Amino acid sequence: MRVRESVFTLESVSFRFPDDSEKTLDNISFSIFRGERVVISGPSGCGKSTLLYLLNRLYPVNCDGMVSGNIFIFSKPAELYAPGEINHRIATVFQDPDSQFCMPTVEEELAFTLENLHVPFAGMETRMVEILELTGLADLRHANIQSLSGGMKQRVATACALIMKPEVLLLDEPISHLDPFTAKEFISWLDELQRQFDLTIVVVEHRLDAWETFFQREISMDGNGEIIADQDFSARRPILFPERVSAMSGETAISVTDLSVKLKEKMLLNSFSFKAKRGEIVAIAGPNGSGKSTLAKALCGIHKKSSGRIQSDGIGYVPQSPEYLFLTQSVKDELAFSGLASREELTELMERLGMDGIKEAHPFSVSHGQKRRVAIGAMLADKRPVLLMDEPTSGQDEAALYELFDLIDGRARDGSTVFIITHDMEFAASIADSVLLIKDGQLTGKFAARDVWQNEQLLAEHHLLPPKGVAKLAESFA
Amino acid sequence: MRNLLHDMNPSVKFGVVTVSMLAVAFFFNPWTPLLFWVSVLALQIALSRINWKIWLLFMLPFTLGAFGYLWTTVIFSAETGGTVIWSFAGLDVTDAQWTTALSLSFRVMAFSTLSLMFAFTTDPVKFIMSLMQQLKLSPKLAYGIMVGYQFLPVMKDEFIQIQQAHRLRGADTEKHWWQRLFSMRRVIIPMLAGAVRKAERSAFAMEARGFTGEARTAFYRPVQVGRTDFLLAGVFMLLLVGSCVGGVILSAP
Repeated sequence: MRVRESVFTLESVSFRFPDDSEKTLDNISFSIFRGERVVISGPSGCGKSTLLYLLNRLYPVNCDGMVSGNIFIFSKPAELYAPGEINHRIATVFQDPDSQFCMPTVEEELAFTLENLHVPFAGMETRMVEILELTGLADLRHANIQSLSGGMKQRVATACALIMKPEVLLLDEPISHLDPFTAKEFISWLDELQRQFDLTIVVVEHRLDAWETFFQREISMDGNGEIIADQDFSARRPILFPERVSAMSGETAISVTDLSVKLKEKMLLNSFSFKAKRGEIVAIAGPNGSGKSTLAKALCGIHKKSSGRIQSDGIGYVPQSPEYLFLTQSVKDELAFSGLASREELTELMERLGMDGIKEAHPFSVSHGQKRRVAIGAMLADKRPVLLMDEPTSGQDEAALYELFDLIDGRARDGSTVFIITHDMEFAASIADSVLLIKDGQLTGKFAARDVWQNEQLLAEHHLLPPKGVAKLAESFA
Repeated sequence: MRNLLHDMNPSVKFGVVTVSMLAVAFFFNPWTPLLFWVSVLALQIALSRINWKIWLLFMLPFTLGAFGYLWTTVIFSAETGGTVIWSFAGLDVTDAQWTTALSLSFRVMAFSTLSLMFAFTTDPVKFIMSLMQQLKLSPKLAYGIMVGYQFLPVMKDEFIQIQQAHRLRGADTEKHWWQRLFSMRRVIIPMLAGAVRKAERSAFAMEARGFTGEARTAFYRPVQVGRTDFLLAGVFMLLLVGSCVGGVILSAP
């Protein structure tokens, strides 16, 4: 047997940020070998990104963090590398597609990387053409990066990493901002590249089910920054949500007839008609740019409708970043802002939403899940019992999804109607009573949820993947 | 021909504009700025392809400013002596006042036209690249500005989103502009918080791609200084000297 060459070796490494009293990473030891595909998993905030930044030497220099123990990169102590030296051999792709680029076009962005490496002018063109061919991005060479979709941006970021001819590729939650359909395409694309370049791949990730059998090995961490397991990777089942009984009642809460939205002669929504009942949970799904957000904004009155009628009890909207709604200095004031709800109603609302502990906190300082609670609370206090949530599932880890499930289920039980814009069909399958499918500004229809999941063709037409649990169920019936 | 100003090396153009402004600032007669203004306009008409409608729109505030200078200098300037050339409703306008007023307003017109010429014919990305290559601007600063430039559309988007959300909550109902200005902080603070996070991420992404801020050895798109740049700079200098000399001669008593 060939002796395996170590790429990273960590010996009881601990890490602490200068302002924190507790260690972010505690006594971490492992070795990663050439050609391995490793995933580092764990809940949000467990320090797995910090660990990744130690591997590419962004830390500790950039944060003055305290490291103890030994880190060897290519069998040489990490601190002996000059700044920037190791980044030629270890390339990184980050999670946010919007903040990884500094130049306007794909070509210039690739050139930025080559210039950093001091590649002579004569060699730049060949190297650029080569990488564009290999990554299948040749058509996008002159494209403006900001105009590309999230999935394409991540591919460009990966191409920019690969043009350095690295030996190791690190990816920091690369699919967390992508919808499942795009994520699947990205993963199979990455799979092919790994074989071609014989790369070592280390990925930090909290949702493993989308990756199927991509990895060979998994290093799992717990919330305290310790390794709890280091073993062969096994494909994950999607998250199992509890069974729920529909809370749908007979009363209609919202009724939309012939709703159209036009912007500068462009038809954004064309004649939408549908109804939803009290306690009903409706998933809104469709490809990117099909008009989902426009629909939500038109319903709650942010966008002006061109024609049609909306009859409802009052419609509230929770953006993907709930903090956009916040106007005051405390959670309590946030709910009371409109002055429409009485003191008793507010107290009851806060109790129901489990916000008693954060009443006095600044709305910007609470966790993301709590921000969403506050936003929903504010909408309910504004007497808007029909709730529209824009992409609440995007980038959430398992625990956050469970919390979201409970939150939405609870509101439906209280009699609210909840619309969720989502690409996550596993989540939709577990919670939604019905599904609104939208394509190119047209309403394909409002379907009962159970009729949609088996109809793979209908889902594929809307760039959706069938929920995995349901697919397995269908197979076992066949 | 009509590409010449657009293709001119941005650093050379920048240098020429700066020198011209400094030089014209030392002439207090009305003819020098007038001559220079007309020649810059002529140059722009001959050697560039710009949207004159938008140009006029941008010139509008400067023209109003220039007229304001003219007006206030004529009416309110201190007694300077000279012959009275015009009397109206008890106001005496002397020739000295009139000359100063014209000089000031033409200067405003010349400077604004020159600045707009630079802005309308220069690609910002190429300008930064040229500053880095010709004037040795540090790559750290240059790419920092580039990142900021890429963020602008994202920030605009975010601004609209936050404003929409606030309107939904009924927070956008202040009547007076000062109240609205004050309530802007509610929009600005979440945006700034997001911007700081984004900036850090971008910095990490750049560093992870081997950017250390040291000077580059080769450029993919070298911005060069060629013969036409020297030629154009020469033309500008000729016009400048011509305006200065012409102005002095014409205003001689």
